[in-house]
Amino acid sequence: MVQEGSTTSASEPERRTIESKPLGIGNDAESFLSPRFKSAAALAGWDEEALLIASLVVDDTPEREFQQKKRSVLQRKSPASGSRRKRKTSTSIISIPVTVLDLDEEEPTVKDEAPKQDPETAEAEVKKSDSMVEQKADDSSLSCSTLPCMDKLREELSCAICLEICFEPSTTPCGHSFCKKCLRSAADKCGKRCPKCRQLISNGRSCTVNTVLWNTIQLLFPQEVEARKEAKESNSHEKKIQDPEKAFYSSLESYNTRATGMLSMHGTSSSRRRGQITVQEGDGERDSRMMQRAASSNAESRVQSRMHRRSIRAMRMATRDADVRSSRRSTPDQDQDAALALRLQREEFLEAFRDTTQVQTRSSLSLTRANLRAIASRAAINLRISGRQNL
Amino acid sequence: MVGNRDHRPSLPLFSGGRSSSSTSLASPTSWASTTSVSASGKRIQREMTEFNLDPPSDCSAGPKGDNLYHWFATIFGPPGTPYEGGIFFLDIIFPSDYPFNPPKVVFKTRIYHCNVDSTGNVSLDILKDNWSPALTIAKVLIAVKSIFTNPNPYDPNAPGVAHLYLADRAKHDEIAAEWTLRFAK
Repeated sequence: MVQEGSTTSASEPERRTIESKPLGIGNDAESFLSPRFKSAAALAGWDEEALLIASLVVDDTPEREFQQKKRSVLQRKSPASGSRRKRKTSTSIISIPVTVLDLDEEEPTVKDEAPKQDPETAEAEVKKSDSMVEQKADDSSLSCSTLPCMDKLREELSCAICLEICFEPSTTPCGHSFCKKCLRSAADKCGKRCPKCRQLISNGRSCTVNTVLWNTIQLLFPQEVEARKEAKESNSHEKKIQDPEKAFYSSLESYNTRATGMLSMHGTSSSRRRGQITVQEGDGERDSRMMQRAASSNAESRVQSRMHRRSIRAMRMATRDADVRSSRRSTPDQDQDAALALRLQREEFLEAFRDTTQVQTRSSLSLTRANLRAIASRAAINLRISGRQNL
Repeated sequence: MVGNRDHRPSLPLFSGGRSSSSTSLASPTSWASTTSVSASGKRIQREMTEFNLDPPSDCSAGPKGDNLYHWFATIFGPPGTPYEGGIFFLDIIFPSDYPFNPPKVVFKTRIYHCNVDSTGNVSLDILKDNWSPALTIAKVLIAVKSIFTNPNPYDPNAPGVAHLYLADRAKHDEIAAEWTLRFAK
């Protein structure tokens, strides 16, 4: 309780993150083991006591790394005892995704320090973490934004070329990591040398993603990674229009990601997906804004979405025509055909899906319509492909 | 808006398929969504914030106006050199594919230096063949500052100055100090 009183005076985001925790966070014991860690441990079949004992056993080992933890454990230990049972029952109720990184080692120390900080540093932290907290869902912000080492980590894990958090990091033989894309363009444009130490990179083309690093980054900076992914996706659509050959692979990729997205949830992601669709149609800004409005009011939405769909259809006709033209101009290519077919299929699929999410009453009618259209277009493509093969 | 103009043609090939209203509406924002321009713009923006957080000593830099690709920097002549006490202004122009091509750095203040020609162009290896995308403006300015203390007469931009530097260092320093007094104060 003492801690709760002091945290409220500490800083805005601190308070927010604490409030966003689903249960009584005033408990000091709460910060000792993060609920995420515990849920992960519960899945692994460890109970509370086993965890506590395990941590103490670890403390006894003479490794340097754990000495810090021991201190925090000892600090936390005495006030924790009273509320432990309460917490135990409530944590079993909430289910938290296990994939989120367990950062419990740092968490208690942060909470310990925060109230003691002098107002200057506290304010700096407000500024720093405020923007992060606003952006992301409250839940995921819990562990990430409050770490004091986050700035250093950010620096360490950012790519020297784009200066952002490494996206799909690729490590050179000399041990430096960059975004895969950045490294590739650096190899293309500046010669096959490491941008950091100028050592020769054997082959810039064959760079692979450093999975350990990439997973670490994804766990530490989920919101940045998500933002980059989205930007990449919209970019890949623009590129796809320009380059039909690359399109096949990127469309395959985005098709997969989108399909999984659809399966997983409706409400929150549907508007975003709609945005993506419009970007893909090449009329991003205005239409996505329109779609947002459409999502907000139901009565308006029907009119606007109808309009929107009509515009999309017109746009698609244009792109389809152009695609056909371009593919006719060049030599017929299996990849191109496949890309075209896949895209058309996906467009139809997406439209059908949008109908279902938007207005339930209209869904069945439009679904059948979309399905019919999809079948027709697929038939047309098959005809074209077979005709070409016959030639 | 140098980068902007350069990249217009590479915008989506489908401008014909767009409705006219959307093209006019999206024009200020749409270029930012193209890969290369936004990547360089983002990177420059990031560099700017990082530079402001931790600027190298005796240097300052920032965009000239609202154009992110055109910067303006100052370097104070380091003590112990004939350039001591002078304030040297530089123009920095970023290419549209910035981190992959070096920025163009030009002295706006006249300087008597064997690596700077009469129009202000600097001969610095990292601004030419030895450029690396991992270099930043802060590092470039540090490199420029280092040629104040260590001129390289073997790769001169002003052969006359280089010759004098090698033949009669005292005379060279005297002239350099005089120029600093005259142009950089």
